[in-house]
Amino acid sequence: MTQDLRYSALKKTPFHSRTSMASRTNKYYNWNGYTVPTEYSTTELEYTAARNGTSVMDLTPMGKYEITGDHAHRFVDYLVTRDLSEMKDNTVAYIIWCNEDGKVIDDGTIFKFSSTKFMLCCAVKIYNWLNDSAYGFDVSISDVTDTIAALAIQGPTSCSTLKKFGAEDLEKLKPFEMREYKIDGFDILISRTGFTGDLGYELWTDPKNAEATWDNIEIAGKELKLRPFGMHALEMTRIEAGFIQTNTDFMAAEDSLRPTRMRSPYEIGMGWLVHLNKNSYFVGKKALKKEKEESTTERCLVGLDIDGDKPAHGSVIYNSKKEDIGIVTAALWSPIMKKNIALASLKRPYGIKIKENIFAEIYHPEELEYRKIWARCKVVKRQFFNPERRNKVPADLYE
Amino acid sequence: MSDNSNFDAIIIGGGHNGLVCANILARKNKRVLICEARKECGGMVNNEITNYVPPVTTAVSSSLGGMQVNYLPKTTIALSETGQHIRLVGNQHIDHKSISTFSSQDADRFNDFHEKMSKFSKTLGSFMMASPPRIMNNSFSDYFKLFKLGLNVRLLGKKNFNEFARMIGLNIADELEDNFENTLLQGLIAHDSVIGSNLGPRSPGSLINLLYRMAIHNNSLFGGIFQIEGGNDQFTKHLIEKCKSNNVEIKTSASVKNCIVEDDCAVGVELINGEKVYAKKIISNVDPRSTYFSLLGSQNLDTDVKRKIKHHRSKGRVAKLILDLNKLPSFNNCDDIDLDSRMVVAPSIDYIEETFNPSKFDKLSLEPTLEICVKKDSDQNPKLDIQVQYAPYKTDQGWENVKENYIESIIKIISKYAPNINECIEHKKLITPDDIELEYNVSGGHWHHGEIQIDQLFMMRPIPGASQYKTHMDGLFMCGAGTHPGGGLTGISGKNAAKAVLDDF
Repeated sequence: MTQDLRYSALKKTPFHSRTSMASRTNKYYNWNGYTVPTEYSTTELEYTAARNGTSVMDLTPMGKYEITGDHAHRFVDYLVTRDLSEMKDNTVAYIIWCNEDGKVIDDGTIFKFSSTKFMLCCAVKIYNWLNDSAYGFDVSISDVTDTIAALAIQGPTSCSTLKKFGAEDLEKLKPFEMREYKIDGFDILISRTGFTGDLGYELWTDPKNAEATWDNIEIAGKELKLRPFGMHALEMTRIEAGFIQTNTDFMAAEDSLRPTRMRSPYEIGMGWLVHLNKNSYFVGKKALKKEKEESTTERCLVGLDIDGDKPAHGSVIYNSKKEDIGIVTAALWSPIMKKNIALASLKRPYGIKIKENIFAEIYHPEELEYRKIWARCKVVKRQFFNPERRNKVPADLYE
Repeated sequence: MSDNSNFDAIIIGGGHNGLVCANILARKNKRVLICEARKECGGMVNNEITNYVPPVTTAVSSSLGGMQVNYLPKTTIALSETGQHIRLVGNQHIDHKSISTFSSQDADRFNDFHEKMSKFSKTLGSFMMASPPRIMNNSFSDYFKLFKLGLNVRLLGKKNFNEFARMIGLNIADELEDNFENTLLQGLIAHDSVIGSNLGPRSPGSLINLLYRMAIHNNSLFGGIFQIEGGNDQFTKHLIEKCKSNNVEIKTSASVKNCIVEDDCAVGVELINGEKVYAKKIISNVDPRSTYFSLLGSQNLDTDVKRKIKHHRSKGRVAKLILDLNKLPSFNNCDDIDLDSRMVVAPSIDYIEETFNPSKFDKLSLEPTLEICVKKDSDQNPKLDIQVQYAPYKTDQGWENVKENYIESIIKIISKYAPNINECIEHKKLITPDDIELEYNVSGGHWHHGEIQIDQLFMMRPIPGASQYKTHMDGLFMCGAGTHPGGGLTGISGKNAAKAVLDDF
């Protein structure tokens, strides 16, 4: 899609004509140079659709990179900390990647079409990083952010919606699998992935097909409580799911100005994605090995169950001696859990060995005055919300 | 790591630093193997590439158990078209006299200039002979080394300290024009500041280049320039003999394909013929770019290391013209003793700068800056060995198309000083930077395996994080000219690397 960009600071996604029609609030924000809604109607309503029906989100601004060439598989395995040497075709994997100091640059998903073709999706732009890393590998990297239109279709009725839309046998697709469909003459890739911690899919297609796809999905989901949802509602669902967000829960290593703010995977709960026994080298392996061997990990990212019902946005966390031991990176009152939850970055051993007797200092705004609340917290699993339907095969279907 | 290592150390590349390193290790009872890709060891230290050398330091010599080679001091002559040459030997009184024939003011100022530069080069030199500190290490000895350099600089006194700070980033042309009126003298010193580098006399940083050069040449501008009796390859021959007596094994025509990496550690080398040899330590005497990208391979490097190595500047700018002669040409106003000297064609700063300019655009200058050395081949026939400054690494027209023209233009320049040169020539051979690259396996064909400029010196040589002769791969070290201090036939890199390797055993 060609746009005359001379007079617009931000680009419009191929769904813009539809998302702007759906917007009742005119609230937009800048995501990777695109303008996309933060909220269509009310965040609570959109959140409810995501947890009870189907929610649709315009994912196009997400950084998308195609990695092709004879060394594509070797390169991807070298780029990320996870061992992907056994990765199967038509599957997706959650990954993180680090710099040479073993500090996390970003997280994302990698889609494998074949051993010579992959697609990497992530929140921030990393074209330079990919290109510089690829030096010496027989691969070519292209930024396909603008040439692939993407939608997230999430929620308990999402499978039924997409089936009605034309995705046959979609319920048989396992989590982290993908399948290519031909619907209305267009190629559409559907993957069982998402950022809400619920049953959900992501859909990738040609920008020319974007508007028709949006319209047809809206029709398919009419009886299945479908609603477009914006970034604010997504933020709620991802905290409940315990997913981390770059530059919110940790600073991207390539972006942070202060070296002490960079985080290793072990410090943001991503140690399970680091395979030090991987046969080949990967970026950051030496540093991560050293960190593991010398146990120099300083922090951890944990889930907190906080007393009361006032969300602990940006709260400082203290121990019983009122010593500063960390900070809340994301917080909300979870409607579905009926709990006051938060993600917090704590200084070890707090969060690992010491899980009790820690407190959040919450400043709750009440009409131009703050109420200061001293709330007791409990360290819990970061994955607050994890329904059985999320990974169920075949997926739940509704009429 | 494999326990069945056949050798304690394998050195890739039998250049002089590799030979020095091998001997020191062997003298500490290590079993050492040298793999040399060419038919013979010595690398670029031979009678073809090397004309003049600095003296080997006592530290290097004693760590080898003494070096039995004789250094012959050489006079430097700045050739003038009018025949009014300047002859400098590094002796205050003789040099003063030679310069005062042209300008008594320059002669006096030369002494002051020399004293100042010498003081500064000594300050730098104290830092140059040992392994550079690594600030990120947090080790006491590293901080101490840095403290010592700071102290040395501070002990120069306030006036000198300010002067030193002023000069670090300065270009040599400004400094020379402030001091001297004679353009020939300016041209000569400027020539020695930029020799072998990618800088013109007016490029920022060309002054520190001169200090660096002085630090390895006896802290003197013209008093530390030597040839080795019997030819510079005597140096190599002597080191090879030492290798034999120290039981160092040398494999020639043994080109290493890559380093064998097991469990994120370098454990051996694979030769081009498929043979694999294992050792506890691998030491690369190859230039940094090839060490990282060819020996280790991109798949074993962090992205940031690749970025640093890609930034590493190592394009050579010096060509060599060798003229075989039937008789010695007669240089205007030169006697036989003069022909035994180092003759420089760099009549002024502007002349050098204009030679430099086209090279920035991969073009040739048809009036190049020259350093001429008279040698004799094995049959005692005379030959001229001419170092041509600012021959681009690659030319926009392709070297093979312009070589002939280039040779003729160089000879034309020489004929201004030696009118009968054309009658004397039997055979001409031009060695360009890319010839050096191919013949000696040095990427970029750079003498020093990488520019000697402020961003590639000390703890940043060759790249930050690899400055103490260690590479980013455990078990793999570097000992070549690409490491600190690099450049010149000093063996310091080889010696310091040997110490780093021994410390790691």
